[in-house]
Amino acid sequence: MTATVDFALPAELEAPGPPESRGLPRDGVRMLVSRAATGTVAHHRFTDLPGLLLPGDLLVVNTSRTLPAAVPAGPGLVVHFGTALPDGTWLVEPRIPAGQSSIPNGPVPPPRTIPLPGGVELALTGRATARLWHARLSVAVLPYLLRYGEPIRYSYAARSWPLEAYQTVFGRHQGSAEMPSAARPFSTSVVTELATRGVTIVPVRLHCGVSSLEADEDPYPEQYDVPPATARLVDLTRRSGGRVIAVGTTVVRALETAARARQAGWTSLVVTEDTGLLAVDALLTGLHEPRSSHLRLLAAFHEPGLLAACYEAAVSRGYLWHEFGDVHLMLP
Amino acid sequence: MKKALITGASRGLGRALADGLAAAGYALVIDARDAGALAATASAIRAAEPGADVTAVPGDVTDPAHRSALHQAAGRLDLLVNNASTLGAAPLPALADYPLGELRAAFEVNVLAPVALVQLFLPALRERGGAVLNITSDAAAEPYSGWGGYGAVKAALEQASNVLAAEEPAIRVWWVDPGDLRTDMHQAAFPGEDISDRPLPSSVVPALVRLVEERLPSGRYLAADLVPA
Repeated sequence: MTATVDFALPAELEAPGPPESRGLPRDGVRMLVSRAATGTVAHHRFTDLPGLLLPGDLLVVNTSRTLPAAVPAGPGLVVHFGTALPDGTWLVEPRIPAGQSSIPNGPVPPPRTIPLPGGVELALTGRATARLWHARLSVAVLPYLLRYGEPIRYSYAARSWPLEAYQTVFGRHQGSAEMPSAARPFSTSVVTELATRGVTIVPVRLHCGVSSLEADEDPYPEQYDVPPATARLVDLTRRSGGRVIAVGTTVVRALETAARARQAGWTSLVVTEDTGLLAVDALLTGLHEPRSSHLRLLAAFHEPGLLAACYEAAVSRGYLWHEFGDVHLMLP
Repeated sequence: MKKALITGASRGLGRALADGLAAAGYALVIDARDAGALAATASAIRAAEPGADVTAVPGDVTDPAHRSALHQAAGRLDLLVNNASTLGAAPLPALADYPLGELRAAFEVNVLAPVALVQLFLPALRERGGAVLNITSDAAAEPYSGWGGYGAVKAALEQASNVLAAEEPAIRVWWVDPGDLRTDMHQAAFPGEDISDRPLPSSVVPALVRLVEERLPSGRYLAADLVPA
């Protein structure tokens, strides 16, 4: 395991709600910009992105939509639906409601069948990890969640924001337990500026499972699809001197998996400094938890000293963390 | 303090880039054939940027002794700008009538001299993670009638840059098309024409400074791409 950046995250730097609730437009968040070539860190608004990129650069975005993946199962239990597995079962996490959010390790009564709203049953078929279970719902999961679920939220959320607050402008395909949030600042006007600048935007799909927010765990297997046209443009961009910029760690996982294996399926690849990068040159991402697996992924882009400098600057300048917070553009 | 060598710095794009790099805090070694014009450039830069470190070394880049003098004057170097250039025969003849002596001379100035300077400075550039910036033209790729001589030498410079970038991963190698500019060279290509609609050389300096300051990947760039309108 590679070393990761460690730092204390002050509670006031945890964004409790979307930028719109802070009086900012979607694209009005801040953007820390770091460059591996020069070892420098600079401070921008997200709307500076088109000018910071170059014609011929390729942005790769995740078109997964966020599901209302939390289902209240009674006064003492809420179930988070994380990831659909190839056999039709789901990885789920039973949690204990706590105020507006919840904490891990909700009670699982024998015989491990949880009654859910609407007269539906969730059968836990076995433990997957300390927190997660394999489970089978008695009805189709996506329509059920869209009717009965709520967005997953953690303790830093000030209140229950509507599902639309958890969608990016690129979200088209239902399936993420948590928002692929690096793309949240994109607005239609920024996309227009990028297009007129000569920066191309192409899609991949990777449904995000529940994050490893409360434990230093690796990400779970996730379902991904890199369309053939996207794979071709990634290849063309790298051969013609442009840069492939992943919008979010999910896109890094999808593209790096496709560069090593099939273009669609379930991936268990965990990108780190040790795996290196075969397809991606740069990353736009949020600000990540201390010691998280995401930080190990960031170490594939920047050497440890620069990464530490980025996070020191982000803390000292009051950048905001989590899905509604500020972003970080990591350039080669 | 970082140091840059700019050839052909007494006029046009080289002069404007010297102003821009001095403003960005670079120590400069500048070169041009016209000693008087070069000295005036050095004085103007020092006046505009008090404390600027500017060394003027007049001479012809095709002269090995002058190139040695540049190497002596610069010593350690972070950025080599091969800007000095000749249009070749002017007004621009068709290749059918191109005087071969002038074509050979154009290769000397626009290809051999830049490669020779790269050879001299490569050890220093490798050591410091430096960069080479070669000024090129769309004439290197486009079949403009009359531009066969200049186009051929710039195409040669581009491919030398391309291979150098592959051979020298420790440094950056950029070759940049600045676009048409209101310079003496451009006027010589269009004698008697009004070229006042072309932008001033200073207009592309922010693009070149961006390339240097952001240490963008080696490759071919259009100045217009680097700074959005």
